Amino acid sequence: MSGKAIVLAIVILAGSLAAQTKSAPGKYTAPRTADGQPDLQGVWTNVTITPLERPANLAGKEFFTPSEALQYEKDTVDRNNADRRDGGAQADLSRAYNDAWYDRGTKVVETLRTSLVIDPRDGKIPRKGQQPGGPPAGFGRPPEGPEDRSLPERCILWPTAGPPMMPSFYNNNYQIVQGPGYVVILVEMIHDARVIPLDGPRDVRPHVDSKIREWMGDSRGHWEGNTLVVETTNFNDKTRFQRSGPDMHLVERFTRTAPDTITYEFTVDDPSAFSRPWTAQIPMKRTEGPIIEYACNEGNYAMSGILAGARADEKKAAGK
Amino acid sequence: MRKKLAVASAIAGLWIAAAPAWAHHAFSAEFDAQKPVKLKGTVVKVEFINPHSWIHMDVKDADGKVTRWMVEGGSPNALFRRGVNKDALPQGTEISVDGYQAKDGSNRANGRDITFADGKKLFVGGSNPDEQPNAK
Repeated sequence: MSGKAIVLAIVILAGSLAAQTKSAPGKYTAPRTADGQPDLQGVWTNVTITPLERPANLAGKEFFTPSEALQYEKDTVDRNNADRRDGGAQADLSRAYNDAWYDRGTKVVETLRTSLVIDPRDGKIPRKGQQPGGPPAGFGRPPEGPEDRSLPERCILWPTAGPPMMPSFYNNNYQIVQGPGYVVILVEMIHDARVIPLDGPRDVRPHVDSKIREWMGDSRGHWEGNTLVVETTNFNDKTRFQRSGPDMHLVERFTRTAPDTITYEFTVDDPSAFSRPWTAQIPMKRTEGPIIEYACNEGNYAMSGILAGARADEKKAAGK
Repeated sequence: MRKKLAVASAIAGLWIAAAPAWAHHAFSAEFDAQKPVKLKGTVVKVEFINPHSWIHMDVKDADGKVTRWMVEGGSPNALFRRGVNKDALPQGTEISVDGYQAKDGSNRANGRDITFADGKKLFVGGSNPDEQPNAK
C-alpha cells in the first residue's frame, strides 16, 4: 500500500469512527435491576428545541456544527419568547403565553442533528399525499358540550404523550418504573401511566383483538440485549399521530447509553399514511424528580369557562 | 360549494395556525378580547392546580366596594420548576393584573401580565423569564 493510500485509509477510518460516535451509543452498559433487567428507572425528560422534521432552510444539512447549534438555540429562544402584542386584542389574547408558561427547552439534541427524524436521511416524514382528517369534529363551531373540544382540553390525552413520546411545550417529564414482567411509564402531561407487559422467551402475550382500540394503543415489550423494544398496535382513530391511521404499527427502542441518558428511538409504519416506515431519535435525559401529580379534570375550570363563553356568544348573537 | 370549501379550509388553517399557540386550552374561547381589564388588589389564595393555576384576588373600587376575581395563570408544574410556589404569592400580596375578562361576564380573567407593587413581574407576555426576580 502506498503512503497516499495509507493516509486515505486512515482518513476514511477516522471519518467512519467519527460518524459512529455521532450516531451510535458507546460501550456503556446499564446497571441491572434486582431481577436482572437493564435499569431504565428514574425520572427523564425529552425536552429539546430540535424540530421533528428538518426545516427547509436546513435542507441537506444533517448535523449542525457546534457554532451553528449555538446560533440556532439563541434564535429559537429569542423567537419563542418575543413580545407578541403586535396583532390587536384578539391576537394578544390568543398569544398571551410566553416562557413564563412554557418549559420547552433551550438546547438542541447532543448529537447536533438538525431533525429528530433520522430516517429517511432528509429528515422529512415520508407522507403519502394529502391525508384525510383535519380539524377535530366540531372545531370552528360553538361547542355544545366537552365532546366538541380537543382531547387535551378534555383532559383525555396530550398529543405528544404517546406512544410515541415527543417533546412539547411543557411537562416533558416521564418516570419509568420496572417490576418483574412489566415496565410502566408515567407521563406527567395530563396523567397517563403506560403499562407495558414484557414478553419472555416462553411467555409471549399476543396483542388484544383488533376490534379493541385504545387511546395509547396496546403495547408489548421485550429485551434485545440492553435495549427495551416496545411494539404497539390497536390505536383508535382519534389520536392520529402525524395523521397516521388506527392501524399504525409502532416500535419504540429504549437504550440506556449513559448514566444520565436513555436513547429513545421509534419507528412508525403505516402504509395508509406514509410511503415507507420512518424513524426518529430523541434523547431522554435524567432530570430532577419527582413527577408532579396532574389531576387534570379536578381543576379544569377552563372547560366550564369555555362552554359558558359559547353560551354567552350565542346570547349576544341572538340579541343583535 | 366553492364558498363551503373556502370556509372549511379557512377553519382548517385556523386549526393548524392556532395549535402551536395553545397551552392547555384556547384562551380565546374562554375570554373576551373586547373586554380588557386592569385589576389592582390583594391575593386571597392561589390554587396551584392543573391544567392551569388560578389566583383569587380582592379588588376594591373607588367607593371601597370589594369584588372577588379569579385570574388564570400558568401550569403549576412548570411554575414549580421555575421556583414559583405558594411563597411567591402569599395571602395579602398586592398585585396588578392586565388581562381579558371571561366571555360570560363573570369575574374571571386571564393573567396576561401580573405585576407586584414594586414593579416586578410574575407573568408577562414577552419578557425573558430569566430576568424576572420573582420567577426564580
